[in-house]
Amino acid sequence: MPEKETPEGKMRSEYQRRMLAIRDAFEAGAAGAATIGARAQAMDELIVGLWTRAAERSAVLRSGIALVALGGYGRGELFPYSDVDLMYLLDGKVQEKDVKQPIRRISQELWDCGIRLSPLTRKRSEAERFDADNVEFALSSLDHRVLAGDAAVYERFADTGLAKMLERDGKAMVAGLVELTSERHKKYGDTLFHLEPSIKDCPGGLRDVHVCAWLKTLGAAAAGMKPGATGAGEGWAAGDREDFRQAVGFLYTVRCFLHYRHERDDNTLDWQAQDAAAKALIGLDRERARLEGPTGAAYWMRLYFRHARIVERSLTHMLEMVPARERVGRWTVMGKAALSKVRRRPEPPAVGYRVDNGRIVLGAAVGAAGDPAQDPEVVLQLFAAMARTGCTLDRGSEERMSQALPLLSTHLEEGPALWRHLQEILLGQYAGNALRAMHAQGILELIIPEFHGIDALVIRDAYHRYTVDEHTMVLIDTLHGLETPQTGPMGEWAGRFGGILRDVQHGALLYLGALMHDTGKGRSTGNHAGESARMAESVAERLELDVYESELLLGLIRNHLEMSAALRRDIFDLETVSAFAGKAQTPEALRMLTLFTYADIHAVHPDALTPWKAENLWRLYLATANYLDRSVDDERVGARVGKELVHRVSALLPGKREQVEAFLEDFPERYLRTRTPDQVRMHFEMAERFAQDRVQMEFRYAPETSEITLVTPDRPLLFADMAGALAAWGMNIVTADAFSNRQGIVVDNFRFSDTFRTLEMNTSEHAAFVASVHDVMAGKAAVEKLLAGRRRGRRKAPKVAVQSRVDFDDEASSHSTLLQVVAQDMPGLLRAVSQTLAGRGCNIEVALVDTEGETAIDVFYVTRNGAKLDRDQQGELKRDLLSAIEANAS
Amino acid sequence: MQKIEAVIQPSKLDAVKDALVEIGVQGMTITEARGHGRQKGHTEFYRGREYSVDLLPKVKLETVVADEMVEKAIQAIIGVARTGTIGDGKIFVTKIDEAIRIRNDERGEVAL
Repeated sequence: MPEKETPEGKMRSEYQRRMLAIRDAFEAGAAGAATIGARAQAMDELIVGLWTRAAERSAVLRSGIALVALGGYGRGELFPYSDVDLMYLLDGKVQEKDVKQPIRRISQELWDCGIRLSPLTRKRSEAERFDADNVEFALSSLDHRVLAGDAAVYERFADTGLAKMLERDGKAMVAGLVELTSERHKKYGDTLFHLEPSIKDCPGGLRDVHVCAWLKTLGAAAAGMKPGATGAGEGWAAGDREDFRQAVGFLYTVRCFLHYRHERDDNTLDWQAQDAAAKALIGLDRERARLEGPTGAAYWMRLYFRHARIVERSLTHMLEMVPARERVGRWTVMGKAALSKVRRRPEPPAVGYRVDNGRIVLGAAVGAAGDPAQDPEVVLQLFAAMARTGCTLDRGSEERMSQALPLLSTHLEEGPALWRHLQEILLGQYAGNALRAMHAQGILELIIPEFHGIDALVIRDAYHRYTVDEHTMVLIDTLHGLETPQTGPMGEWAGRFGGILRDVQHGALLYLGALMHDTGKGRSTGNHAGESARMAESVAERLELDVYESELLLGLIRNHLEMSAALRRDIFDLETVSAFAGKAQTPEALRMLTLFTYADIHAVHPDALTPWKAENLWRLYLATANYLDRSVDDERVGARVGKELVHRVSALLPGKREQVEAFLEDFPERYLRTRTPDQVRMHFEMAERFAQDRVQMEFRYAPETSEITLVTPDRPLLFADMAGALAAWGMNIVTADAFSNRQGIVVDNFRFSDTFRTLEMNTSEHAAFVASVHDVMAGKAAVEKLLAGRRRGRRKAPKVAVQSRVDFDDEASSHSTLLQVVAQDMPGLLRAVSQTLAGRGCNIEVALVDTEGETAIDVFYVTRNGAKLDRDQQGELKRDLLSAIEANAS
Repeated sequence: MQKIEAVIQPSKLDAVKDALVEIGVQGMTITEARGHGRQKGHTEFYRGREYSVDLLPKVKLETVVADEMVEKAIQAIIGVARTGTIGDGKIFVTKIDEAIRIRNDERGEVAL
């Protein structure tokens, strides 16, 4: 005869039957919210039934003790494999030892059902006390329901004790909650865009939903309202509420799916789970989805990220209500002092918006001026301010911008003005934050529609952590991160690569290249670099970038994988270096590619860029930079004059192709690669005017660095005289290059800073300055006379002492000797060096002058009597140069 | 069972991995390393500064194989990693007492 089932046994059987039915219903399409509610209800009945039976047996359970559900179960949400948090709440009169046995029996019954029970016993006085070391318990007690036992004990806890705790410790609880949330977000790189996210703990996941509810409760308590049960979506702004409810409902359903699938409390949406969820239409309207056809995992994940974004934004808005001093981590409010510190130049007066306590707020719509949310000028300036300051956008402003998007798109103009705005955003220290906000608002895709293809795009590979769009933002963050010193194992390398970043002359193009580099992945053609370059071409056209800028940008994107590829070869092999140098072609492109590769690797995964990889990258950069400098003299425009650049220059000078080819013949290829066709055209035209004046100059003034281009027939002491003329006016040469062609025409370019601010403070002196330099170069004025009368300012003591050195390389060029001079940068240095060279009868074939901080680095390809310098000549020249450098410094 | 540790040029890693997989070696551990043998480093000059390269980038590959696979694995590595110049690297072989698969407690060669 079968054994008669005990009442407890019947309860267990009923519980298991109901749970199976609930699971079946879920798999047939029931929503997650209904599922977890039904499960909580079934659990309630089991627990209450067991308690009632236990109370019949033990009188001690009949008063002075209440059984309270906490945490998720306390909210009435019970996921398939979540813990069941139960608190046995004791009145002061009940001793724990008296109730230990009956509590243990109840717990055992529940464990026997396979329930993951987390029981705890607390005196009411303990439960109402906030422990700063156990913030999690305090937070879980915010979600509570009485299941059984002494209702009076529970009421004293819920209505009185908790209220007092919130009043007394509410601020500390908020601070603790924000800190915990910040730490959790940091663990996930402060982004929700993971390829295999945890839908509970990742930003934008269910834990953030709970945080929103807790903040609401804590905020209500701070306002003197009675703490009630939390509920998602209550009291949100109308625009967000339905979106938020739908997002939460979606996440509930996905979590149930994952629990049933994994058969444990595993909340990771791994790839297999993504495929299965898409196939099973989890979280989707099944009828509609069936009509529309199969849903791919990529589309399904985009839906996930859309919902997660809504949750994350809601959390950010909730945190705006938290007093500034209690915010930590990514929600730390930037104080006024910090705001003024990050500004590189004074903030322009803001029109249409204001900065208020770390938030950027759109101005009100006023009369004929209209709504600033519809004005692209205001909106773009606002995001530029965000990029400069790191401030976040006010929620109301976000909503206004979302609504104004259609009108914004009709008013948006392309071209140089748009490029100027974009540059301001890209170059801001917090560009990544501003771009993320623009992306979330749909404004980034308004400006760059090509970006839409990679919105929340999941590309599955074992290495990438983030979606393609987030990877792009992290890359941009990494580049900007090089602007400030870093600590840790990567600190030294960040410092070195930060030095390269400081030398980049086209920073905005670097960041624009970063923004576009993976857009091609949205088109799945297999060659995403090429595809991204094609897409960037139309962006460059819309922004009306000039030819040089376009080529630099497209070259960066097209070749952005080349350096990583070279790293997989032998980086000490000259062939590897030479092949890669062929891709980079110019020092500026090399700097950009190097920085890009550094940031690209780092943005794959936080651990991807190791000191080992950074060192190899650095070595390859050094080797290639040296190769480019050392190959300048040998790589000249020759018989291969049918190059594209030559074509472009000729196209600008119709009917003069032969003269153009003759002019360009024998210039180092570096000259062509570092000049736009328009600049080369200008130099050609300057040379054509030799009949009127054999010294042709073009002067461009700028407050920080001015520029003179000299086109003239070569002669002895030409470089030295030019350097001397500039030194006589107190100009400090920052960079210079000098190239000559077969016809003996030199094109020398000097960029210099104005030590005494003569030109800045006296615009009337510009013409006199140019005339003076011209007279020296034309032989009408003696440079020694000018130098004799030169104003000698008091020289500041250098911050870093640079040891002078002179090195020769006989192998770099087939017909000249490479000379590198490194010395303390100071006015007159280049004059001293070039005069010494002339004094020793050396002809400068090519000059590349550069300055890095306080170090002057001058590279010359020199010949003497048309040949390389022998060892003796090198020795003598070295002695003379070192003496001249020392004399100039004293 | 024996453990093979091969210190090789980083540029040879892909080829060595493919060669081992081809002969049926299933698992391996790769470590980024730096070192030198007789192949000493060198000095690089850049912008007036010296950067000495004393320790060269290497990759260490470790795999445990059954005794009868050892020589085959060694030859597979040598076959693709050798260039003939100093700096090709070295292979070390040590005996392994036991191998255990954490997931299911399988032991011995079957755990490889």
